[in-house]
Amino acid sequence: MTLSIDQYAHLSRWRERPVLEKALLAIGMLLLAISLPPWPTAPCIIASVLGVTLLGARVPLRLWLRCALIPAGFLLTAGLTMLFDVGRHDLSFSAAGLPVVCGLLLRSFAGICCLLLLALTTPVTDILASLRKIGLPREIAEISLIMYRLVFLLLDTASAMHTAQAARLGQRNRKQQLRSLGLLLANLFPRAMDRAGRMENGLAARGWNGEFKVLRRTRPLSLARLTWTSLLLGSVLLMGSLFS
Amino acid sequence: MHIMEGYLPAKHCLAWYSVSAPFFAGGVWRIRKILAERPQARMNLAAAGAFAFVLSALKMPSVTGSCSHPTGTGFGAVVFGPAVMAVLGAMVLLFQALLLAHGGLTTLGANLFSMAIVGPWVSYGLWKLGQRLGWSVAVSMFLAAALGDLATYITTSIQLALAYPDPVGGFTTAAIKFGGIFALTQVPLAIAEGMLTVVVMDALAGKVADIRKVSILAGETR
Repeated sequence: MTLSIDQYAHLSRWRERPVLEKALLAIGMLLLAISLPPWPTAPCIIASVLGVTLLGARVPLRLWLRCALIPAGFLLTAGLTMLFDVGRHDLSFSAAGLPVVCGLLLRSFAGICCLLLLALTTPVTDILASLRKIGLPREIAEISLIMYRLVFLLLDTASAMHTAQAARLGQRNRKQQLRSLGLLLANLFPRAMDRAGRMENGLAARGWNGEFKVLRRTRPLSLARLTWTSLLLGSVLLMGSLFS
Repeated sequence: MHIMEGYLPAKHCLAWYSVSAPFFAGGVWRIRKILAERPQARMNLAAAGAFAFVLSALKMPSVTGSCSHPTGTGFGAVVFGPAVMAVLGAMVLLFQALLLAHGGLTTLGANLFSMAIVGPWVSYGLWKLGQRLGWSVAVSMFLAAALGDLATYITTSIQLALAYPDPVGGFTTAAIKFGGIFALTQVPLAIAEGMLTVVVMDALAGKVADIRKVSILAGETR
């Protein structure tokens, strides 16, 4: 089983670009989105980040929509609930909240665009390597790498178990679903531990000392792209602070 | 319950990051100590983290803005201890943001505080209390998991209310409002998670005497 975001991140056209370039753009925009008032910053960010994602990194629109659909759905429901006032006896529509809610939704959507830009172009392994460089303790980075490896093994196992249970009427009703999920998790946990134990034995037998050393194929930093990114960030900052 | 990307203003993000940071550092210190004594625990910890992630990827959404799925934090807190959970939680939240677009990078500090710090400490406290008062493993496990979940959801409501106080009633009204809305999904979910944890715990350690259940599950980590 694969997760579509992860799969695409490994195949992305921007896969081999230095993480710093991608992070400067995505995280820079993200920080601008949350620190400036939503209007007109958020629409600018949405437009520029979407443009970069779809045209620059050539993420297919359908894939992007599929990834954005779930968080966007949550946003809408959250926004709707904030629009209503719960009185002592009734539920009333609060018109005063409308601009606040719209601003919040815009800003949050801009945030999701930035997050997806980073997630769809940069595999988790690259991000962990960069975090390691900026001071994440070695132990934690290594545990995260092993975790990343185990996630997909466990997802495979879990989905096979789920299919087997469904085929045996394990998802028939609520009670059965809870029992099935409990059984699934109870069987998955020892398997996870067992897998980890075998991996540990295998690595120990090869004299592993607690650090994975892998070759990374990355292109050198491009000064031109860094400059363009900074210019883009600067113009959004200017727009945001002048017209708000 | 995760707060979405971009949902909190910059000041709040920063504040929650700094509140969570000492707990994270404490967890790192604890993990380093465990690893210095038993390097093989590294794999147990990674497996536990991966397990928690898979748990959240299995079942995703329900109503009202933030989403619902078993978090496994209560279980993790009892088995591995709450200090370690802060670090495991941070890794799971990072993976969720990057692999599922679920939660977010700027709101990671706030989510970490509610899910990987408050929840686990409440669960752990209740578990210890239950042991001292001589409750059965099933009862203490249920209460630890269910109330840990509830504590997480109340914390999230407070975080949202601090960021978006009600224009009329201020912070308290907003907290009650958010709490009331989330209660619709979170209370049944907390009870479900409590029962699920008991089922899991029983199936896992069914043939072992009550006192030894936890130590068997923790593997090398304790």
